[in-house]
Amino acid sequence: MRRRPLPGRLLMYLLLSLVAVVTVFPFYWMFILATQAPAEIFRTPPHLWFGRSGAENYHALIRALPTFWRNMWNSIYVAIMATLTTLFFCSLGGYAFAMYDFKYKNQLFALMIATMMIPPLLGIVPYYIMMSWLGWIDKPRALYVPSMASAFGIFLLRQYIAAAVPRELLDAARIDGCSEFRIYWNIVLPLIRPGLATLGIVTFVGSWNNFLGALVVLRSREAYTLPVALRSLQGLYTTDWGAIMLGTALSILPILVVFLFASRRIIAAFAAGAGLKQ
Amino acid sequence: MRKALFVGVCLAALALAAWGEEKVTITVAVYPDLDSVIEGVLPAFQALYPDIEVELEVAGYVDHHTRLLTTLAAGMGVPDMAAVEIGYIARFAAEGGLVDLSQPPYNAEAYASLFVPYAWQQAHTVDGRLIAMPADIAPATMFWRRDVFAERGVSIDEIKTWEDYIEVGRRLTYDADGDGQIDHWLVDDAATVAMILWGGHTRFFDQEGNCIVDSPRFVRAFEVAKAIREAGLDARIPAWTNEWYEAFRRGTVATAINGAWLMGHLQNWIAPETAGLWGAAQLPGGIYTQRGGTWYVIPQASDNKDAAWKLVKFLTTNPDIQLRAFEITNAFPAVQAVWEDPIFEEPVPFLGGQPARLLWKEAVQHIVGVPTNPNDAIAMEIVSDALTQVLEEGRPIAEALAEAKRLIERRTGL
Amino acid sequence: MSNPLGLWRRWWARRQQRYAPYLFISPFYILFFAFGLFPIGFSLVLSFHSWRAVGGLETMRWIGLENYRFLLTDPWFWQSLGNTLVLLVISGLPQHLIALPLAFLLNRRLPPRLRHLYSASYFFPYITSTVAISLVFGTIFGLHYGILNQLLEYLASAPWSRWLFGWLEGYLPINWLGKAVYIKPAIAIVVLWHWFGWNTILYLAGLQTIPREVFEAAKVDGANVWHEFWHISLPLLRPIIFFAVTMTIIGNMQLFDEPFILTGGTGGPGRAGMTVAIYLYRTAFEWTQMGVAAAMSWLLFVSIGVLSLLNYLLLGRAALARRGEE
Repeated sequence: MRRRPLPGRLLMYLLLSLVAVVTVFPFYWMFILATQAPAEIFRTPPHLWFGRSGAENYHALIRALPTFWRNMWNSIYVAIMATLTTLFFCSLGGYAFAMYDFKYKNQLFALMIATMMIPPLLGIVPYYIMMSWLGWIDKPRALYVPSMASAFGIFLLRQYIAAAVPRELLDAARIDGCSEFRIYWNIVLPLIRPGLATLGIVTFVGSWNNFLGALVVLRSREAYTLPVALRSLQGLYTTDWGAIMLGTALSILPILVVFLFASRRIIAAFAAGAGLKQ
Repeated sequence: MRKALFVGVCLAALALAAWGEEKVTITVAVYPDLDSVIEGVLPAFQALYPDIEVELEVAGYVDHHTRLLTTLAAGMGVPDMAAVEIGYIARFAAEGGLVDLSQPPYNAEAYASLFVPYAWQQAHTVDGRLIAMPADIAPATMFWRRDVFAERGVSIDEIKTWEDYIEVGRRLTYDADGDGQIDHWLVDDAATVAMILWGGHTRFFDQEGNCIVDSPRFVRAFEVAKAIREAGLDARIPAWTNEWYEAFRRGTVATAINGAWLMGHLQNWIAPETAGLWGAAQLPGGIYTQRGGTWYVIPQASDNKDAAWKLVKFLTTNPDIQLRAFEITNAFPAVQAVWEDPIFEEPVPFLGGQPARLLWKEAVQHIVGVPTNPNDAIAMEIVSDALTQVLEEGRPIAEALAEAKRLIERRTGL
Repeated sequence: MSNPLGLWRRWWARRQQRYAPYLFISPFYILFFAFGLFPIGFSLVLSFHSWRAVGGLETMRWIGLENYRFLLTDPWFWQSLGNTLVLLVISGLPQHLIALPLAFLLNRRLPPRLRHLYSASYFFPYITSTVAISLVFGTIFGLHYGILNQLLEYLASAPWSRWLFGWLEGYLPINWLGKAVYIKPAIAIVVLWHWFGWNTILYLAGLQTIPREVFEAAKVDGANVWHEFWHISLPLLRPIIFFAVTMTIIGNMQLFDEPFILTGGTGGPGRAGMTVAIYLYRTAFEWTQMGVAAAMSWLLFVSIGVLSLLNYLLLGRAALARRGEE
């Protein structure tokens, strides 16, 4: 195997690293800002190293938002519920679209894709009306139930299942008398773990950052998720920037952990499923 | 003994039950810092009305109004009482939704003389309903840097008219470090000056609801902004950006024309280290106008209008409570009697010991008001756009304003 | 064998295979009918009404096609549609032009740990919160002290780079967020930063499904790096390019977050950064013309459909046809 010439390799690493620095910078930045006093946060040119007000900002945060950890838990709970339910319903739907032939399959599939093109912005008023009817105001389920079976998720997993699951395996299982659900649960699910990891992180991130929906259906501070709670510190005459910064940095931590934990899987999942074979 | 205790407990429970029946809980939707005000005065309120419980729903300043609009649109889950800021009150002026407080049993017109006249008028709609009670107001003022003025040999007394302002501005706009580039300016943004001059978020329509954006007031505002821009006196820095904060910190803009509340932001987090370097003055040319203000409203769909009204009345018409609110947020009270308090004569350390509140007290009495129109917000956008065309593309003022008027009229009624 | 239970079982086995898929996809349609259809119907009905929202549902007033007529003759609507299309091209195209070669580089012989580190960091912007984005790019795009302008000023005046960047001097400092002409590039930079990693990972994944032997064989035939990229990787990636471009079209036509943050929710001076989604949001929630906003959402839906169809005709048909040949 011929090795590439050294200058070429160096250039490649330099390029790749440069892009990596640019993309990771905002995270570094968040944590820097979280440790600075409010007056330092908006300084230009900015300080690029940690400040000394981390503890102070934490006290400001807890004083302004005594429910912070409760809100963090709400966010975690909603994100986990959203992720689990989405993974279940989307893999089920994706499995059906990938592995079965049934009447109206193509029409039903096209309908599902079309729903992705509908701009969601205006849905906020009818969404609120429905949640009021159901009495789901201030309830976490208002945030994850409506999107449990997302068109994007079914689409993604359909592509993945089509590529990763051999049909012969399913036929063999049927001959052995497995029920259809059992085939899905015992054979398909274990095979598509990487695909699930991908959809999982997308769902988790989406739920974690969901703001507008959470704003209208959550009304009391105890029920708030983090984005709403943190933004509730923004006033007209006063804004507690130190607290907001630290709160935002802390709110990123769980998602960072999930991501670092799952990123190898995600990339592998894309790798195996992205061929988009029929 | 046991029996007696049992009877006692039963009686107590009965009493509690009877008492509990009359107790109502009202939800009050506000944005910070109004939650601190309400929490601060709540003990006094509950001493008066022990049967009213108050539950606060606090959301961020922008988010609060979005949520209020959504609940009003759905007609469900509305708060019993809510705060509305001046930039947002226009959208709530449309038909229905909010209680008309001029009607019985509220008969709030009786309180008219308590309030500063313009805030009272802005609480009305074009069709004559009274939809809100003024809580705080915000006179516009001119902040100026004492150190920069001194260094450039300029006195604040030289500024009487807008022409003076521009003339003095030429001396305040300069290149401090000698690198051939201007680095100090008269003011942050000519567009902000124009907006203050035409009257901020309101006054685009007259009493009858006719669009008046081609009136002399708007022409004048545009002319001043254009003169400032053409002389290169503004830094062209949009408000609420890092650049803006930095300009105040470094003193690279010599004046700021804005609501008096800007001082609170400067003092608390934008530029605390500049304490004592600032002064406040009336706007040039005998102009008096407002930039901000808060009202309280009661939604039509509320189940506890009476209890909510009690709290609204308590917060807005009681001078002692207004004074407490002023101490908590430093927002200017809308009740005129409060201004007689000695606290208004105290020197303000951040402004170099100037008793600036007397200045603002005088300013608010000169402000004229007009009723609030549901199309104020869209008119604001269209007029701002016309201003951009004038400042950035050199479009003639009369032409830009005539076009703006046409665009506004086209949109009303949809 | 012929006991009733066995018969029943066999009958059930055949049945369930036929009906299971309907059962499996039913959650989506049930949820869609329960939660998706009502908002869609609501906005359709709304688009024929005048509604100022605050008065509740009973203040809706039927005005027929007025909202559509207004929008189709509204210069702001056409401008916002134009903005959206321009942003789709100048933020969408570079995403793929950067992601493709980057993925190609990542797919070369790198230590796996390093490859993982790089690809994970490229994916990072995707999970960044909007607060972080607004702060970071606020300091980058500042007029007088912004990092970007300071860098450009240095490049335009330093002796070693003058010959290349000297012409910039007349334009500096660039008012990125304050002047209409610069807003779109500024937004495009942020969108590019936010999403290129997503596409890079997608393409890297696609490349990893290409067997190594294909590249090895090409090398034996004397192919250079350029040839590998242009004649081997790109053609094999076509189906996935179609998928990624479709996602970019659907996403960028509804572009909201980045321009909203950068322009402080307004669309910027001269509305140069006002996308259709921002115009829709402001019409609904700031100017409370709910009917106009509803009509706009339908016009946006139609234009997304048209573009997706065009994309299918240009990229998709060829990609799918190729797959048919295999």
